[in-house]
Amino acid sequence: MIRVHNVTKEYMQGQEKIQVLKGVNLQINEGEFVAVMGPSGSGKSTLLQLIGGLDLPTSGDIQINQQSLQEMNEKKRTIFRRRHLGFVFQNYQLLPTLTVEENIAFPIHADGKIRKRNQRSITNLISEVGLKGFEKKRANLLSGGQQQRVAIARALVNHPSVLLADEPTGNLDRTIAEDILRLLLTFNRKHNQTIVMVTHDIFAAGFADRIILFRDGVIEKIISRKDEDYAKYMAHFMA
Amino acid sequence: MSVKYGILTLLSVKQCHGYELKIELDSLLGLKGKINPGQIYTTLDRLIRDGFVTSPGMDGEDRRLYDIHIKGKEELNKWLIEPVAYSNTKEDFFFKWSCARKTNSELEKLMLTQQKELIVKEVMELTKLKTELILEGDERRYLLVTGTLLHLEADLTWINQVENRVG
Repeated sequence: MIRVHNVTKEYMQGQEKIQVLKGVNLQINEGEFVAVMGPSGSGKSTLLQLIGGLDLPTSGDIQINQQSLQEMNEKKRTIFRRRHLGFVFQNYQLLPTLTVEENIAFPIHADGKIRKRNQRSITNLISEVGLKGFEKKRANLLSGGQQQRVAIARALVNHPSVLLADEPTGNLDRTIAEDILRLLLTFNRKHNQTIVMVTHDIFAAGFADRIILFRDGVIEKIISRKDEDYAKYMAHFMA
Repeated sequence: MSVKYGILTLLSVKQCHGYELKIELDSLLGLKGKINPGQIYTTLDRLIRDGFVTSPGMDGEDRRLYDIHIKGKEELNKWLIEPVAYSNTKEDFFFKWSCARKTNSELEKLMLTQQKELIVKEVMELTKLKTELILEGDERRYLLVTGTLLHLEADLTWINQVENRVG
């Protein structure tokens, strides 16, 4: 479970103090698929970075599975990130000269030797993301959609509590984006994988159970697909 | 949608009785709603009259069965491969937009905003339905919804383009 309590984030831009997040409170339950939406500069990607422990809030607290990220030292936070969080980025961030299999195994290598059960997990993931037969292919020889599939498998190889995805379909055309979103939905439903996805795209956000609507560093509203006025509110927000 | 070709499609797969045709046609219609049973029987009468459909008799439960005739199969195949011209279902909207643009730029902006709101609402409802269809494994209806969503995306892109030019 993710708990974001009274989180603020400030940056200095020259002499000027910029407040990107202005007191965010949020709870995301295990197994939820949540989308974070908002205009550029509204703070949605900053929030994802803070949840991912890639940066620390100026004030407030973020807990994942009851463990506070701020209370960990840098080393502990790095290990926690590797073991409990998976990341998917818009530009895939694969190691181009490594093969599909090597890219997916990379987080395990960082944690020690690959064991038999890890190898099984890699093989299963390759099959689940639809890349059977591509195991030995170098990442830079893959299409954008295939690279994102590798990135998803790599993010999931350590069975993270949370998968954090920052505009995972931002570089892909609609048809390929659809395949990636279907894949995320399948992992969410089949493996109860918690997913937090930042997107500016309503066609992607609609895959999530709840949508967090951000504006000017605060949560304007959280809408759930179970709400009666779900579509209506989204329309109002977008207009 | 043409009930005539829906019936011919179903009968080309197997013999059916009237009620079975109604159920299958509702499913074939997918998102467009349900069909009136009366319409099925009047269409069947016309198809028999034109020699496209025959009735080989009753089934075990005393219900009249229908079957496709070779002439019906030919008619169906001809229809199936005929390309469908783009039907401009948004004709009313484009006409209204042209009128709004000619008369008052504030009204034009407002009508575009409201149209956008309507499209986003439909996108959200259809995407919700789409994810349910993915999980149910209903590929045919999923693809139909995907097609509608792509049209809505095009409409949304067009409105954004107009709005940017209106400034």
